[in-house]
Amino acid sequence: MNKPLTTPFPASTAEASVLWSAEYSAQIVAQVGHDRTVHNRSGIPIKPLYTPLDVDTSRFDAEVGFPGQTPFTRGIYATMHRGRTWTQRQLIGLGTPAAYNERLRDIIDQGASAVSLIPCNSVFRGYDMDEVDEELLGTCGVVANSADHMTGCLDGIDLAKTSCAMNDPSPFTLLAFMLATAKRRGVDWRTISGTSNQSDYLSHFVANHMFFRIALPGARRILTDHIAWCGQHVPRWNPLSVVGQHMQQAGATPAEAMAFTLSSALQYADDCVAAGMSPDTVLPRFTFFFDISISFFEEVAKFRAGRRIWARLTRERYGAQDPRSWRFKFHGQTSGVDLTRQQPLNNIARVTTQAMAGIFGGLQSLHTDAYDEALSCPTAHGARIAVATQNILREEAHLTDVIDPLGGSYYVESLTNDMEAQILAIMADVDAAGGMYKAVESGLVQGRIGESARRHQDRVDTGLQTVVGVNAYQVNEDASARPALARPAPAEMGAHLRDFAAYKAQRSAEAVAKALDDLARSTHANGQGPRDNIFGQIVAAADIGCTHGEICGTLRRELGFGHPLIVV
Amino acid sequence: MTKPHHAGTSGATTAHAHRIDAIRAGDRATIARAISEIENDQPASRALSRSLTAWLGAAQVIGITGPPGAGKSTLINALLQEYAARGKRVAVTAIDPSSPITGGAVLGDRIRMSDAGAADSVFIRSLASRGHPGGLARSTRRIVDVLDAAGFDVIIVETVGAGQGDVDIRTLADASVVVCPPGLGDDVQAIKAGILEIADVLVVNKGDQPLADRTERELKDMLHLRARRSGWQVRVVRTTATTGAGVAALIDALQAHATEAGVAQRLGKTTKDRAADPVTRQLQRFSDADAYQQHIGLEFVEQSPGSATYRMRVEPQHMNFNGKCHGGALFTLADTAFGVAANAYGVVAAGIDTHMTFQVAVDLGEVLTARSTEVSRSKKIAIYRVDITRGDGKVVAAFTGTVYMTAHPHAAHLRA
Amino acid sequence: MDIRPKVLVTKIGLDGHDRGSRIVAAHLRDAGMEVVYTPPWQAIKTVVKLAMEEDVDVIGLSSLATDHLIVPKLMVALREAGLDDVVVVIGGIVPDEDEQMLLDAGVARVFHPGSKLEDISAFVVEATARVRAARFPA
Repeated sequence: MNKPLTTPFPASTAEASVLWSAEYSAQIVAQVGHDRTVHNRSGIPIKPLYTPLDVDTSRFDAEVGFPGQTPFTRGIYATMHRGRTWTQRQLIGLGTPAAYNERLRDIIDQGASAVSLIPCNSVFRGYDMDEVDEELLGTCGVVANSADHMTGCLDGIDLAKTSCAMNDPSPFTLLAFMLATAKRRGVDWRTISGTSNQSDYLSHFVANHMFFRIALPGARRILTDHIAWCGQHVPRWNPLSVVGQHMQQAGATPAEAMAFTLSSALQYADDCVAAGMSPDTVLPRFTFFFDISISFFEEVAKFRAGRRIWARLTRERYGAQDPRSWRFKFHGQTSGVDLTRQQPLNNIARVTTQAMAGIFGGLQSLHTDAYDEALSCPTAHGARIAVATQNILREEAHLTDVIDPLGGSYYVESLTNDMEAQILAIMADVDAAGGMYKAVESGLVQGRIGESARRHQDRVDTGLQTVVGVNAYQVNEDASARPALARPAPAEMGAHLRDFAAYKAQRSAEAVAKALDDLARSTHANGQGPRDNIFGQIVAAADIGCTHGEICGTLRRELGFGHPLIVV
Repeated sequence: MTKPHHAGTSGATTAHAHRIDAIRAGDRATIARAISEIENDQPASRALSRSLTAWLGAAQVIGITGPPGAGKSTLINALLQEYAARGKRVAVTAIDPSSPITGGAVLGDRIRMSDAGAADSVFIRSLASRGHPGGLARSTRRIVDVLDAAGFDVIIVETVGAGQGDVDIRTLADASVVVCPPGLGDDVQAIKAGILEIADVLVVNKGDQPLADRTERELKDMLHLRARRSGWQVRVVRTTATTGAGVAALIDALQAHATEAGVAQRLGKTTKDRAADPVTRQLQRFSDADAYQQHIGLEFVEQSPGSATYRMRVEPQHMNFNGKCHGGALFTLADTAFGVAANAYGVVAAGIDTHMTFQVAVDLGEVLTARSTEVSRSKKIAIYRVDITRGDGKVVAAFTGTVYMTAHPHAAHLRA
Repeated sequence: MDIRPKVLVTKIGLDGHDRGSRIVAAHLRDAGMEVVYTPPWQAIKTVVKLAMEEDVDVIGLSSLATDHLIVPKLMVALREAGLDDVVVVIGGIVPDEDEQMLLDAGVARVFHPGSKLEDISAFVVEATARVRAARFPA
């Protein structure tokens, strides 16, 4: 054993720090074999210890402050999770509308507090169910192509009281179908709340390409029209969710994901302002959507830093006066990339850790992944455990007793500062490239994400980053212990297809053609006339019975087909 | 489905003939496999290349080059769509750089050609440069020959696009298109010293961007400072490849170039078709009667007014003591292209002076092409220039020669 | 003869997530291979045309969200085009229940999440050697 080098009571923090540092250096190599610098996923060097010397306490009011007060580092509301905790929102979608509705009611019974809907990938690609391979229908989301389908999906759900998140990429037909459903039920659109979850077309172009590939300028116009129209007709709806999740899933580091997301938000805000909307009208309806990785402290710091940057930029760049414009509202989803196929039950522990990072990061809404997501689209069993995980964290674990419980930690405050500096540096690169739209067009963003993805994979492959069950602690597994696969029943999907054909045949061909003509015309209008708003025409088309594929097909024809901007 | 057969001893001739027929018929699998064999320099590919010489020259070969990010692949995607609308069959070879360290390559040009590439009238082949400088792969010319013999109307060659080095395309293509992004600005000076000089058509792509106007103006100004190239005034065309704007005008410009540069009369006719031409038959008779040509192993390829093209594969008997192709063999190749072109006017032309520079040492197995061009001609004296290029289009030797035009007709057995 | 493997890395079906296919493509390049890369959502017919024109040895299909369910259709189309000697591998999320179905359809190997990149490139090298030996007997 080494003899202690310290005197019992060092004279000052500085002196104690020097003494500790010497002792640490003397012992660390002997204990773990090396004294390597540790970096987090964003590449920030992490010291073994943080002390008062790492934070400037005189900057407490300016940088940390109080919950509900600028710069919102500690949370955007005064009560935070002591008050209404977070919205428990499980993203689900599978099979036919009837099957979806059954699953939806089940998880609401289990404790989920809001509706979410993931459509079939055919919807993301802009097609109706009769335009794609039948084998794929409903395997990853609900097959909803019309207002009738949406009415079935939301059967028994009170639309005036339930917040609904639609995974609804541009051109937002799912919202249009939902509004048609509300109209049929006599629900006032002004009472409807929720979020267009996949409205961030730039992130789709960059990262997961789950977008129906309309050319970038057209996508830009549709989003701006969507935001303007929702502001007038569905004021409690959040028409824009700026998504960091796709980019982090695609390989962006947490700092990159936050930076690119904030840069996208600035782009969208610029576009809205250019279209004549006032910042304090649109900014309060902006929401954000992030991935939460298992890099626990880094994620906490990422969210704290993001809140601080947004609070400053909304005021400095747009002169926003309304505090609601400054508040960085975000939904977090635990990261599927961290989950493993090996020993899948271990994923429950991973999801729990990720969810805690999101909670301590101050999220407003949370989705926890099912443990079987790395095996297949989640089963009902997996989804139920994911809901239970949130219930445990919220009500058993006493996580919500204190607001921002990690605030004031020398490490967390210092890391928040470091993450903020790195996020701002990346945003400056995007600015130098002419803003996010241009940076995506030029491939700059895709290139950086690709590099980061490979760096992370290298760390896993070389064992620098342990992944339990993958590159360490492998065990021989009994495959029969795996959960049973959930696939839509072919007979049900076949019937759904036949019903769809019958539905299309009984519509007034004339009314459908007229609605699609009106939609086509709006794409070439200047956006200022009463029927010029593209999204307004989509809502009208959905209401008279046009299908998703018909609406997307019309837009694709008029606005041009876009290529995914891929950089290898 | 034609499956490539490996040449055995018996039946090899039939199999070989069968493959030529399949290529001529445009059989995709056979074309693709033939390209692989050439790319990997497999012995069987040489006989194939030789047999294809009867079927060459019908396609218009268009080179597309320009700096990275200019939008070359996207422009080709738009060109393919426009050519399809005009009923043309088009082949593309797109060359991407190989890593100098590992030799690996990501061939990503198809990413941006995925719309047009799915059409049956289109054939796309990606090639890795495999360490070869100059913007092309080593065997690009022979690969273009396969596509030419397969009857494609147009063959587009997209170079690596690394910058100023991509000049080899000039000798391979009938017309070179240099694609420039808008806002070339300060780079103009740098680029005009390099690839801009090889352009027959300059394209300002991404023409909807704000700087496109200025770039177009700068390029036009630059052209005013430059002499016309042999009867063709270089054109500047503005395109927006993503919308297809200007692409029809680009194709029109390329057609105009084919007419003015004398390429058009060749298009649609293979070597064999052209062999029926009286002048070609005359030149073929010269070659057939020339014992030294036969001895060295020269092959008459084609002629056009004032020009003859010969080809030679460098075999062991051509090598010098340093293990490179002997200068005498190169001289014979150039001298033949020169002499035969000069003798095409019906009287004996006697060489009186020649000069040759050797620029690059030539290795065993290279296929060399010598093409003569008439620099000037008076009643008595004519001057010719001959470039010898190797498979990738690189000039390995340059020759100039002067003939005295006698008044004597050729011997009777050489006349028609 | 140069046996530098030529590999087509692509995605069929409806999903657009391409993190996996990009990482694998870059790794195969760094392992010295020539990799033809496409955007997601290729039609089966297009993949067949591409594999034929590029004369690839191996096709690597990435699947995250059930698109592997139409791979048997691709296998049939490849056979009909005479490309039965091309080796097809799948990487991504493929449930155990489906793996046997894919192997039965002619897929050579399924690489699950957590597969080492070196294992993938080693498999491709070995598969290419077999393909070339059959295509060009000595």
